[in-house]
Amino acid sequence: MTTYLTEDDIYRTSTQYRLWSFTPESLAALREQTHAAAIERAKKYLGHGNGTTGHSDGANGNCEGDGTVADCLTAEEELRLVQRYADQIRTTSDFFKWPVNVKATAVQYLHRFYLSNSTLTYPPRETYKCALFLASKTEGVHMTLSEYARRISTDAQLILAPEYKIIQALRFTLDVRQPFRGLKGALMELLNIAAGRGAVPQHSRTGKTGAELQTLMAELPGVADGDRSTWAAPAGAAAADPRVLADRAHVAYGVARQILDAPALLTDVYFLFTPPQIYFGALMLADSVLAGFYLSTKLALESPVRGKVLATIGACRDMLGAWSPQGVMSKEERAGLEARLERCRDPTTRDLVGAMAAEKRGGGDEGALDDGVAKRRKLEREKSMKEGEDLFGPSLPTVGNAA
Amino acid sequence: MTVSLEAHGKLPIFEAILAADLPAHEPHPPRSPIHVSHLVLDVRLPTFVSQLTISPPTMSRLAQSRAAPAAARPGDQDGELLQHSLSQLRFTDAQPEPDICPVCKSSRYLNKSMQFLVNPECYHKMCESCVDRIFSHGPNKCPIAGCNRTLRKHRFRKQTFEDIAVEREVDIRKRVAAIFNRREDEFEDLMDYNNYLNDVEDITFNLVNRIDVEENEKKLAAYAEQNSKSISANASLASQETQDYSALQAAEREQARLRRDTARREEEEERRARAEGRQDIINRLASGTASAEQIAQESRVTLKKRMDKKAAAERQRQLHAAAAAKDATNGSSGFLIKGLKTKKEVGPEKPFDAFGGLSFAKHDYCVLQDHYEWDWLNEVRGDVQIVAGGYDVQEFHQRALCDAFAGLGVFVGEEAAARDEAAMGPGAVKAAATAGAAGACTGAKDIKMEDPF
Repeated sequence: MTTYLTEDDIYRTSTQYRLWSFTPESLAALREQTHAAAIERAKKYLGHGNGTTGHSDGANGNCEGDGTVADCLTAEEELRLVQRYADQIRTTSDFFKWPVNVKATAVQYLHRFYLSNSTLTYPPRETYKCALFLASKTEGVHMTLSEYARRISTDAQLILAPEYKIIQALRFTLDVRQPFRGLKGALMELLNIAAGRGAVPQHSRTGKTGAELQTLMAELPGVADGDRSTWAAPAGAAAADPRVLADRAHVAYGVARQILDAPALLTDVYFLFTPPQIYFGALMLADSVLAGFYLSTKLALESPVRGKVLATIGACRDMLGAWSPQGVMSKEERAGLEARLERCRDPTTRDLVGAMAAEKRGGGDEGALDDGVAKRRKLEREKSMKEGEDLFGPSLPTVGNAA
Repeated sequence: MTVSLEAHGKLPIFEAILAADLPAHEPHPPRSPIHVSHLVLDVRLPTFVSQLTISPPTMSRLAQSRAAPAAARPGDQDGELLQHSLSQLRFTDAQPEPDICPVCKSSRYLNKSMQFLVNPECYHKMCESCVDRIFSHGPNKCPIAGCNRTLRKHRFRKQTFEDIAVEREVDIRKRVAAIFNRREDEFEDLMDYNNYLNDVEDITFNLVNRIDVEENEKKLAAYAEQNSKSISANASLASQETQDYSALQAAEREQARLRRDTARREEEEERRARAEGRQDIINRLASGTASAEQIAQESRVTLKKRMDKKAAAERQRQLHAAAAAKDATNGSSGFLIKGLKTKKEVGPEKPFDAFGGLSFAKHDYCVLQDHYEWDWLNEVRGDVQIVAGGYDVQEFHQRALCDAFAGLGVFVGEEAAARDEAAMGPGAVKAAATAGAAGACTGAKDIKMEDPF
């Protein structure tokens, strides 16, 4: 008994669909909630603006308390700051000449992380390097931590410190479905259609042969006004020349690929659409005629979902098209925001490196853990040190006693 | 002294008895603890008490010999002895005093080694010397007055149970169980098995209580005859289970050796027959008694005969299989068993399917082709560095096309909303968000990081 999984079913099994897909409203609501909770918290540690808080954390005393709740970033500013750092990740990834999937994964990690965490708690300046490093590991680009830290001139511990927090906020789902390979698949098919070897599935009811498809493609009008593709039918060549058709597909692919790199990564399309819809949106922006033709070979005119698919792709295209590079925050603006952020940020997460070290040590020095647990762990450590000098070494650690 | 007795009602009395039995001067409790847990619980209390205050002459010889060094004084019994006397409450090979043979009237007092035997034919008890005397010369009538059964010497045996009725019932049960030896896994479900057990119990009960003995014996015999094969199979299964592993292995080895021997012998025979045949042909050709064609014809006939013999063996085997099949459906005896499984031949094992029956071969939106007109892709085909490792471009084709359409018809907006509603009810998104934010706010303290050290 064989059960067939269609492509859509396969996507429905992904964690991106199950955990990281939202409606625009729920996405906005989620961010609003996160921001509100962060402000609530800020009110406590900022002491309502009078600067005399009850915190006894001596190491952070110099920065603490001189901001007010009014200094806190707004939700809008938080989002723009995250997007600024998403752009920063792109630049850094390009600096390493890493493939585009690392970049997309890292940016998406950052976006997902700030769905449930506020920049007030974890400023993105401290987390984005970690997100990129994590993505490089997920995507199988192998660079050692020391090499990575050296090339971006950062302390290795600073990179590692927020890693656990990030993975936790990602709900331990590290898979990010991306449109890049799908776009390659679309190009493969378009090229075959151009060569007259196109094929459509039996049940799609479009029922065209390869030659028919090629003719249809050749009869397409040129690139529509407003589309970004730079392709134009060469004057001398026949319209049906396969090489000309292939060229059109290549150009559209190149432009779409650019769109998938910048706007697609810096907007929320990954949360709102599926990867095929995203790359179709990008193709629509690049060459709407070609994209429409290609889609019509997939979905017959009488197909019930056709209208819905077209509308969804249209929405995605609009979202991608609305993005402009000017929207990204400038360096000065960022500096200003970060200065404010410095005044009103959460003091308890200031020392991530120390917190991580303390967590690893068992929290004995910081008192962050229960006193009983800390003391027991300290005793265990001392005992094990002592036993380490025994003839046969220390005894094996007992499992589960810390719980 | 720890006692765990499951007869709740009798526990206090039991303890009282134990307390009474303990000698007053013994400073510490006896060494061996008593664990009385699986005793027959329908022990009647008077018997119980009388057995507990046991005196050395009424104890079994075994118990006596073991008790002797430990308990020199009467009443100074330690736990072990008590345990013994408890375990002997119903099962005993000792006879109550005085022991007198009902046939020769000699008593144990005169003959210490006297043993009593019974014959399952009539269960009359007599001493060993009487059995020797009366039945040494062949079958004879039972010497007890009024019993006219004919007994044989070889069926006499030692009595196991004190109560002769129990002895008889156990014998009958043994006999019935040896014939009705179907196993639970032969039945479709537990209900059928229980029904079968119930029918068998009916027969047993009738036999034990002498109700319609003739008819029940007939049923038993008919069943035994018709199911002889499955009975012997189940009996051998049962004995196999009781055999230990090494014995089993030895038996298998022996079987294999026998099979090998048989095969070798058959092969040898066949070779000899063939050699003889050829020699015969040569002789006949040499003597010129028949023409070459005739002889060739004859040899073909011999060959055919040999083939026929093989075919016959095959037919015989098939017949056996059919008989076995008939046996499994338990024929037409007066005793019909419902719900017996029909034995199925297990087919060859199917190849392992990593996806458990899921297939990804069906594409909604595209057709996977062998070749795509993209130089960037097709360069790889000729690149030894890449292909040498076993890389196949087709894998990429499949993956790219799957990625290209995985989710084209999934409308995240609608489905996400519907999913959230279904999962948690409206407004749950907000709650989840709050929870997430709250988690973030509590910061480092709340995180229970898996301790890496």
